[in-house]
Amino acid sequence: MPGIRAGLALAAIAAASLTGCGVGGAGSTASQQTVASDAQLKGTITFQTWSLKNDKFTPYFTALIKDFETQHPGTTITWVDQPGDGYADKVSSQVTSGSLPDVINLPQDIAHSVAKVGGLLDLTKNVPTLAQDYVHSGVAAYTYPDLGSDGFAFPWYLGTDVSYWNKAMLQRDGLDPAKPPRTFDELVAQAKVMHDASGGRDYLMSRPPGLSDIVNSGTPLMTSDGRTFAFNTAGAAAMLDKYTAAYAAGYLPSNVLTSTYEGNSALFTKQEVAWTTGGGNYIESTLQSNPSLAPQIVPSPALDTAPLYVQGISVAARSRNLPLALAFGRFVTDDANQKAFIKLAPGFLPGSAASAADPAYSRSDGTAQGDASVIAYQDMQKAVIFTPPVWTDAMNTFLNQQVALAMTGKEPAEQALDNAVNRANQLLGQ
Amino acid sequence: MTSHRWYTPWLLIAPALLWLAVFSLWPAINTGVLSFTDVHTLSGGRFIGVHNYALMWHDPQLRDAILNTLIFMAVCVPLLTFLPLLLALLVQRTLPFMGFFRTVFYFPVIASAVVVALIWQWLLDDRGLVNGLGRQAGLLHGALPFLTDRWLLLFSAIALTVWKGLGYYMVLYLSALGNVRRELHEAAAVDGAGTVRRFWAVTVPGVRGTMALVSVLIAVNAMRVFSELYILGGRTGGIGGQDVSLVMLIQQAAAGSDGRIGYASALSVLLFVLTIGPLLLLARWNRRTD
Repeated sequence: MPGIRAGLALAAIAAASLTGCGVGGAGSTASQQTVASDAQLKGTITFQTWSLKNDKFTPYFTALIKDFETQHPGTTITWVDQPGDGYADKVSSQVTSGSLPDVINLPQDIAHSVAKVGGLLDLTKNVPTLAQDYVHSGVAAYTYPDLGSDGFAFPWYLGTDVSYWNKAMLQRDGLDPAKPPRTFDELVAQAKVMHDASGGRDYLMSRPPGLSDIVNSGTPLMTSDGRTFAFNTAGAAAMLDKYTAAYAAGYLPSNVLTSTYEGNSALFTKQEVAWTTGGGNYIESTLQSNPSLAPQIVPSPALDTAPLYVQGISVAARSRNLPLALAFGRFVTDDANQKAFIKLAPGFLPGSAASAADPAYSRSDGTAQGDASVIAYQDMQKAVIFTPPVWTDAMNTFLNQQVALAMTGKEPAEQALDNAVNRANQLLGQ
Repeated sequence: MTSHRWYTPWLLIAPALLWLAVFSLWPAINTGVLSFTDVHTLSGGRFIGVHNYALMWHDPQLRDAILNTLIFMAVCVPLLTFLPLLLALLVQRTLPFMGFFRTVFYFPVIASAVVVALIWQWLLDDRGLVNGLGRQAGLLHGALPFLTDRWLLLFSAIALTVWKGLGYYMVLYLSALGNVRRELHEAAAVDGAGTVRRFWAVTVPGVRGTMALVSVLIAVNAMRVFSELYILGGRTGGIGGQDVSLVMLIQQAAAGSDGRIGYASALSVLLFVLTIGPLLLLARWNRRTD
């Protein structure tokens, strides 16, 4: 009898777990709500930013919130900021615990995960002028093919990668800082010159290839219908072969594939590597963290096609005060406030259509930082988002593993890409 | 004589029982249940039968993960069962500075994981101390690929585990050795038994209970190996993920906002089954030798 009782108890616990394990979120109904545009604005909402509470940005947000609360008496905005690391995990836990802030700053990949479970309000439906008020690339970033034509964020600020070169290292190894590489092939050619001139001490290349390199090889990541991955092309294999040859020849640090690899940016800071990529404000931030290196940095456009990074402001579909949340989201991203925000972040571009076209962004003040900002502005006009929203951590890990096998000669490039594509497609269906 | 109410013992163990139920029993049961669902980090939760278990057959890394984990256990169990015993015998002696040596041997146990990672990476890197010394001594021409070769990385991780665990198990053996009667050693010596014979005939039987405990602890810990391989192989589990362990595979499956919690739970159940097997074998072996 005790055995039967214990078995029944376990079965009951299992049944309870099974019924309780769904974390499905709000579903599509919540995201499709229509918010009354004439509703009175009152009450309290929470506004969450990502790593923006610091000496530089805190006064801006404090003033922004005060401004809104003054314009709309009876409203209170509670501002919270999350640290830079582990933001996706933090947002995930907020979604599963039903505590997603009313207005939230999300990059497009995290927004996709939340939108997929109905956690974000469809803004296309609630803001008819969304496509006119905001830059096209920004709106497109938050419109996901697998979720229909809904838009899930107000584009806030846009960034891209600029190439940065160490002038002293280039000159020391006989390279001209005025003519840095513009394509991957030029990079490999100049990496050879640097390697040979320095006896293998200096490096120009210092990162293994990833999705961006595949796209820059002229390979679309997915089929035209966006249903399957198909980046195992001859072009991508040729690119991987070039990396493999460069690695074997010693143009990249030998530990670039191991756990001791510190990353491209850290090696650039230590002046072991003469090239890195960074946001449009990289020189300004280096001036504070490494004043002796900053004057040596020369900016140039990103190799081949530049990547586009977008930050957006989304509204939680389950917000208890949707009218206020929607109004505050629009307020944060309106033209005037975006302009004021971007003044604090040189090298980034506002997501509002009116200010993004401002010719001021295409004029340099003659400093290297000014040049970098202009380059970022120009690059952003044709920059693309390399990572599809359906690309997951598990797919990325597997791709990196296959790339490492190819670069160490343990697997042909074609085979490595075939494996990566097969596994990505397998995971896509799970 | 004071009489106790029937529930007094239950009251005394209630906090521990509650702790076990909330933090061990419930998660274990829930893991088993989740393994039959399609739950992801943010979505899902539908019952899908044994689909997650069927998916394991198509996981290109599962075979490597099982093999690596079993090799890890098979090598760690004998090494960490006998080496700490020898070390304990060594430091048990009352010689000058022995307290200092005991502390030194125990130091890796309390060292932070980050420090350990940095030390071992620095030792084993292509440009690290081991390769540097090897080249200087003329023993090596190139660099030994400790961090890029599948087997070298696996055995380096085993070496790191043994190094880090020696001190802990040494302390367990030191307390057990205190219970081995000195007269037995003296009697064996009088009968002509040498050091090796006395070790096998007196010391080992005297600490057999502790050996059983130690071997079980090591087996369980080895099956759950994660940090050592992560430290040396990185988050991908070495080149091509060839040095991934089962726990790393579970972590990779569940990571991110699209994490496959259902599949990760199925892998956890597999790990449980694989761990129980060797434990039962060890328990049986211990019963036989008693």
